[in-house]
Amino acid sequence: MQGIILFVLLVSTYLMVIAKRTSALIRSFRYQSLCLFVITFSIALTQREPELYIVAGLLFILKVLLIPYLLYRIIRRIKVSEDLGLFINPQLSLLWALAFTYLSWIFASYIVSANNTILTGTLAIAFFVVSAGMFLMVFRMTALSQIIGLLVMENGLFLLASTVSGGMPFFVEIAIFFDVFVSVLIMGFFVYRINKLFTHIDVNKLSRLKG
Amino acid sequence: MSIVIVLGIPLLLALGSLFVRKERLFGVINCLGYFIVLCASIVLFNQTVFAGHIRAFFDFIYLDLLSAVFIVVIAVVAFASALYSIAYIKKDIQQKIISPGKERFYYLLFNLFCFSMFCVPAMNNLGMLWVAIEMTTLISAFLVGFYNSKESVEAAWKYIIICSVGIIFALLGTILFSYAFSISGLSKSLNWSDMLPVAQVLNKNILKIAFIFILVGYGTKAGLAPMHTWLPDAHSQAVAPISALLSGVLLKTAIYAILRFGIIIIKSGEFAYFSHLMILFGVISLVISSGFILVQKDLKRLLAYSSIEHVGIISIGFGLGSPLAIGGAILHVFNHAVTKSLMFFGAGNIVSAYKKHNMNSIRGVIKVLPFTGIRVLLGVFALTGFPQFSIFISEIMIILAAFTNGSYLIAALLLLFLAVIFGAFIYHFGKMLFGNHPKDAVTQGEPFSGKLAFLFLLFLICGLGVVLIFKYKDLLWLAQRLLQG
Repeated sequence: MQGIILFVLLVSTYLMVIAKRTSALIRSFRYQSLCLFVITFSIALTQREPELYIVAGLLFILKVLLIPYLLYRIIRRIKVSEDLGLFINPQLSLLWALAFTYLSWIFASYIVSANNTILTGTLAIAFFVVSAGMFLMVFRMTALSQIIGLLVMENGLFLLASTVSGGMPFFVEIAIFFDVFVSVLIMGFFVYRINKLFTHIDVNKLSRLKG
Repeated sequence: MSIVIVLGIPLLLALGSLFVRKERLFGVINCLGYFIVLCASIVLFNQTVFAGHIRAFFDFIYLDLLSAVFIVVIAVVAFASALYSIAYIKKDIQQKIISPGKERFYYLLFNLFCFSMFCVPAMNNLGMLWVAIEMTTLISAFLVGFYNSKESVEAAWKYIIICSVGIIFALLGTILFSYAFSISGLSKSLNWSDMLPVAQVLNKNILKIAFIFILVGYGTKAGLAPMHTWLPDAHSQAVAPISALLSGVLLKTAIYAILRFGIIIIKSGEFAYFSHLMILFGVISLVISSGFILVQKDLKRLLAYSSIEHVGIISIGFGLGSPLAIGGAILHVFNHAVTKSLMFFGAGNIVSAYKKHNMNSIRGVIKVLPFTGIRVLLGVFALTGFPQFSIFISEIMIILAAFTNGSYLIAALLLLFLAVIFGAFIYHFGKMLFGNHPKDAVTQGEPFSGKLAFLFLLFLICGLGVVLIFKYKDLLWLAQRLLQG
């Protein structure tokens, strides 16, 4: 069961890498967060820890409902082209993603010493999600895609933390959720400002400061 | 008890800035508040010197000598900055650059920013340490973009994005540390005080990989090259008192975080690994910054690159690792914080008098701003390590330690690049401070609170240079205990 969810999570990440429009990116982000929610919820069911239910609930409210809603709202309000401004076309991006997946697998099997395939696989997927987020931030040049890239990286870390060390301590987890939410709000605020001052959100064209 | 004062007063002041209607009065209250924080931090320092470490609030807060030193540094710069803010913000309002309502917003952010920085050294839990550092980024982004011009919003965006990515890597490193902790069969915990005693039994391979992520992650925030690209933009666009805080102490809080993890690495018996990485990043920072300092045209960017240089020196000092080097490095943390604050205050006054950042069109500062000009002149010599200012002492300690360790190459590189940077600074500032001042400029008086901030910092810079000659044994004794936990 967990294998299937992890596979869906992997596919949603691939969908993000090849997405051409911001709304498609946000939709895939929502699928990815939903997978994370299902994983956390199933861990909570087996371990019967009330704290994990709260973490899962927060994950659902913040990352599946609230943050995608905020991002959609920004798209509607700023009315710029939804084009992501690809530096690398989708086919090539997919090749990159495949290479990253393989590298993540090697890295994961280096870290996990015992012959534990499930743990290694989960770890590899977590590392891949982090690197895919990084990829989105570097090769997609709108301010919104950079925010989403950051969120994807954070999702990868959440998966990593919940598999390798049984999650962060409870209050740290809550603090990190709060932190992610606040950072989305603040970055969203800056996207509005950039759009107002520059009338675009193409980060590549922000080049007034040099040297 | 004093930790409650240190953390509580900034929060109270943040609340106060929402309710106090008289902005002029609030500036003074703010300043008094930070004076109390400064006193409390010194009491705290004394307590840790004698008691070893303090725990409070169910192990949530853990303070040892290292954290106490950083809290004192933050308190000193925050006090000076609060003092300078009164005059600076008043001038901005008079010149109609910002509206009076925005002054309250400024004080709210100022206090929240200081609170989040005070949280960093106080946290025991490494996850909370991460949250505190991320909070400093999020709050100060508003202060970088405060003037709402195209340049400042661009700087704020780069700052928030690059630092957030960096810090995500630091979180990855933190998770790997906790993984190393959990596979050694110990109960789940992210408390530093739980990790340290068992450092020897943790899996060394995982610790090493984790430390790379930590160094890259927090190193981005600390401004270590080549992850420094956000730093000159943010420091040059922020409000002048905030530039001082960013450069003087925000970078140091990230250094503090690196050291926390570094101590675990050292305790696990991998000192050479820690040392090589710190020295490598330190030297790269020194080389890159010296190049940019030579060709720089913008006054505040020049100072920002100088911060990268000094963070590099601090990193080399901690990397060398002998008591002399660590003493030098921790002293350098303090010295750089006070000297660089002085320089940013001076730059703030110069920029608001000339309305320009470009050094080629700033001439004759000594005649136009006599008070600031002379303090900046002294500050330039202090910053470049001229003898008997405090930075001279800390730099000579690090260089001596490099020689006695047998790392001649590092000592030679340090001396070479310090000489280059000294030359570049004298060249840039010589032209700016002396030279013919523009015809329409008149000699300007300066407000009392601004002068007081300069004198306070100058007193620390000069005083420490003299006091340390007699007190160096105490310093070495402290340095030996510093990385013990």
